[in-house]
Amino acid sequence: MVIVARVALAAIFLFAAYAKMKPQPGMPWTPGSVRTSLSMFAIGVDSYEMLPPWAVSPFAHFLPPFELFLGLWLLSGYGMRFSGLVSTALICAFILAMYSAYRRGLTISCGCFGQGAQIGIMELIRDGLLFLPLALIVTIGGFVTKRNRTSSTLPQSSASVSHAD
Amino acid sequence: MRGEAELAHRSGELGANQSRRSAAEAAAGTGNVDRFLRVWVFALVAGFSASMTAGAQPPTGPAQSSTAPATPGAKSAAPVNPQTSTAKPIARPAQVLGTPVKTYGSSSAPITMEVFTDYECPTCKRLFEETLRPMISDYVAAGKVYLVHHDFPLPMHKYGYEAARWLNASARVGQFQNVEAALYDHQESWAADGDIGKYVAGAMSPTEFKKVETQMRGCGFGAPAGVKSASFALGSQSGSGDACAVDSYIEADRALGNQIPVTGTPTYVISYKGHRLPAGSGVVSWPILKQFFDSLLSQ
Repeated sequence: MVIVARVALAAIFLFAAYAKMKPQPGMPWTPGSVRTSLSMFAIGVDSYEMLPPWAVSPFAHFLPPFELFLGLWLLSGYGMRFSGLVSTALICAFILAMYSAYRRGLTISCGCFGQGAQIGIMELIRDGLLFLPLALIVTIGGFVTKRNRTSSTLPQSSASVSHAD
Repeated sequence: MRGEAELAHRSGELGANQSRRSAAEAAAGTGNVDRFLRVWVFALVAGFSASMTAGAQPPTGPAQSSTAPATPGAKSAAPVNPQTSTAKPIARPAQVLGTPVKTYGSSSAPITMEVFTDYECPTCKRLFEETLRPMISDYVAAGKVYLVHHDFPLPMHKYGYEAARWLNASARVGQFQNVEAALYDHQESWAADGDIGKYVAGAMSPTEFKKVETQMRGCGFGAPAGVKSASFALGSQSGSGDACAVDSYIEADRALGNQIPVTGTPTYVISYKGHRLPAGSGVVSWPILKQFFDSLLSQ
């Protein structure tokens, strides 16, 4: 189950990164068009009205590549405890941001997977009841796996002593 | 015999030790490869992120006008200030009482921004004052952006539809920009008592206002029948709820908005070189929007 959750969570982050960075209609895949898409994502970040003006653009240009990295990290399976923790923290931050916008009555796009769905109860439910549990499963699974590995390590000296007899 | 057994045992032990060392070395080698892969992936993504972030210069504060003359004495494009404009707007055909023209700038601009708003919506006012005004003075005046207004009065706003009627009637006599500015500037006042005509009158000459008033005679109060409104006041004026001359333009805008679909105001749709981009909503600051426009124009 942990593997399924890890792969599913990785797919979500990879798709989110792709959706935010893919070129706009009519534009080819070039660094310039990706930058344009990230600038458009910055508009979505700005509409949340949570970050100071100077932080909006740098954040918007950092988050999608970070989601790409996180997706690859989860897919690799290495350091699952930490990738799970980072994923959980990120999803919690998203939920808090969306809930804040929802409570303030902002009719804005979620921005989770590019421009599109407006923030509403369904988006909060999706993130809270689907994405967050996946991240928690990965995190807990990572800690359990690490603990099991640590406890199953046998001391090597006992084998050579029995042969010498 | 015993020596041979011992020799065999020791060579077996040696082989086991050798295989354990080989496994350990292999594991170490594999671990090194893993570490290398992890570092490489992280460096790749970090480098990619840095290259994207390098392009994300924190937007400058007050937008620098792009119409500053390169040399002293050179003419610059006259900014279109919707509030106290002394410069003439972009030339339009002689205004005939036909379709209201609710635009700023030249239709030949590479970027078109269509905004769906309700004049009684406070967020729409914020967008107009914080974003559209500086944009009009800067990028619209420079011919980079063509701004188009569409009406999308919301049912929960008591006088929103009425304000749209006044705006469209004014637009038909070429007074769209002044009236829009007046409506937003005094939004709190007319939203409280519904006395919109006072502010429309203050935005134009008496002659022009008479033309607008003539159009509004058949309109009465509130929204037309079939449009839900929080308060549909049947006033004593004749024609309350009857068809109003400008209602068709408002309904055409609403139909257009429903295709987007517009689920709240303000909603804006940006088009570049004929390609319509996904709609956005809410308030976006001018520096962020300007950065996006610059990115589009650099394509």
